[in-house]
Amino acid sequence: MLQLPEIYAENLHRWLPELLYYSLTTLKIAAVSFFIAVVVGLLFALLRLSHNRLIRGFAVGFIEVARGLPIVVVLYIVYFVPPQLFPGLNWSWFTDFTGAVVGLGLHGAAILAEVFRSGIEALHKGQREAAISLGMTPAQSMAYIILPQATRIILPPVANYAIGLLKDTSLCSLIGVNELMNDAKSIAFADYQPMAVFVLVAVIYFAMSFPLSMAVRYMEGRLAVSR
Amino acid sequence: MNFFQVMEQKGWYFFTTLMGGWPETLAVAVCSFVFAMVIGLVIALMRLSRWRIPRWFAISYIEFFRGTPALVQLFVIYFGFPDIGFQPSPFQAAIVGLGLNGAAYMAEIYRAGIESIHRGQMEAALSLGMTPARAMQHIILPQAMRTMLPPITNFAIVLLKDTSIVFAVGVVEIMALARNLVTETLQSAAVYLIAGALYLCVTIPMARLAARLERQRQAWQ
Repeated sequence: MLQLPEIYAENLHRWLPELLYYSLTTLKIAAVSFFIAVVVGLLFALLRLSHNRLIRGFAVGFIEVARGLPIVVVLYIVYFVPPQLFPGLNWSWFTDFTGAVVGLGLHGAAILAEVFRSGIEALHKGQREAAISLGMTPAQSMAYIILPQATRIILPPVANYAIGLLKDTSLCSLIGVNELMNDAKSIAFADYQPMAVFVLVAVIYFAMSFPLSMAVRYMEGRLAVSR
Repeated sequence: MNFFQVMEQKGWYFFTTLMGGWPETLAVAVCSFVFAMVIGLVIALMRLSRWRIPRWFAISYIEFFRGTPALVQLFVIYFGFPDIGFQPSPFQAAIVGLGLNGAAYMAEIYRAGIESIHRGQMEAALSLGMTPARAMQHIILPQAMRTMLPPITNFAIVLLKDTSIVFAVGVVEIMALARNLVTETLQSAAVYLIAGALYLCVTIPMARLAARLERQRQAWQ
């Protein structure tokens, strides 16, 4: 029978510092790809709402493809495909970390684009018309009138996406990024303690995502639009 | 050899090889879907229970499984369970892992569906002499199904996409075959793009269906 408490008493002082060190990499991947997802997602949300049919079609195509692909496939495509399509270029800067954040970022952009769009569309059209009749340009009305109000609607789903993203960083281990999951694998198989190590890693992931999910619950209660 | 020459010479071979992964991918998806539907209902009923202990158990279950990556759960089951004397096959580990993980999501879908039905329905059923279990089965769940159908379709899409991680515990599905092909031919660009296209052929129509069901539900309300 497996004696988890004894295994932890014996090994935790070696495992925990190393795993916590690699959790920082996990958080770094999550933070950078979150940033990419917000910026690119906002761009695609605006393209998606464009009056030009070609631009709109391009945005819809990107969103459907990126949302329809499994994240693992997105990571493999982003990381392995460009160097092979354009072998003449210099790809030495394109590390596994870069591939991971670009892959997760683009996938997230497609998810967030839909979140942003529904937030923007949920606002009454009159808000925009009023802003424009006051002499604002469409860009100004978007920046000062629509987006600040939409923030309230989109914040809970964006935070939910952040939780999902944090968990999805574990898939970066499959393209070889040295983050929490990859380090856990090497410890687990070097020390022949898969159960103890993977349970510990689950607890670490939980400790990172639980505060976020508490925050979502708080926001859902606090920011609920009262009518 | 550039990408287009590779596609011309090897494209058909890659396509047919990867298509051979569909039965396994679908088997994992369908089995874990059924598993998640059943366990999810049990968890949802516990979550809505009047008694504290099942309710707390359900809340911890949902929080824990939604708070940790599915990949870690798969590894605990596949590599960890032998430590406590049970060696699952890759397929068993995959459906138990994705099934238990999915049950946490399904439980929340069931709960939202059941809570969307007016309390008077339950009271009316009970006053007609039905037991709570019969009322749930014949009155509440059939009506809740209407609300739950779009999120369940979305869940099925997520589950199908999540099967792409089970190669990590040794299931030979589409992604595992893709990785083997890349090892064999080194043509990662062509192989992974074809693999991606295979997933899109199923996930995009399913997403369209989910959106249509959602529109119908809103029109009906």
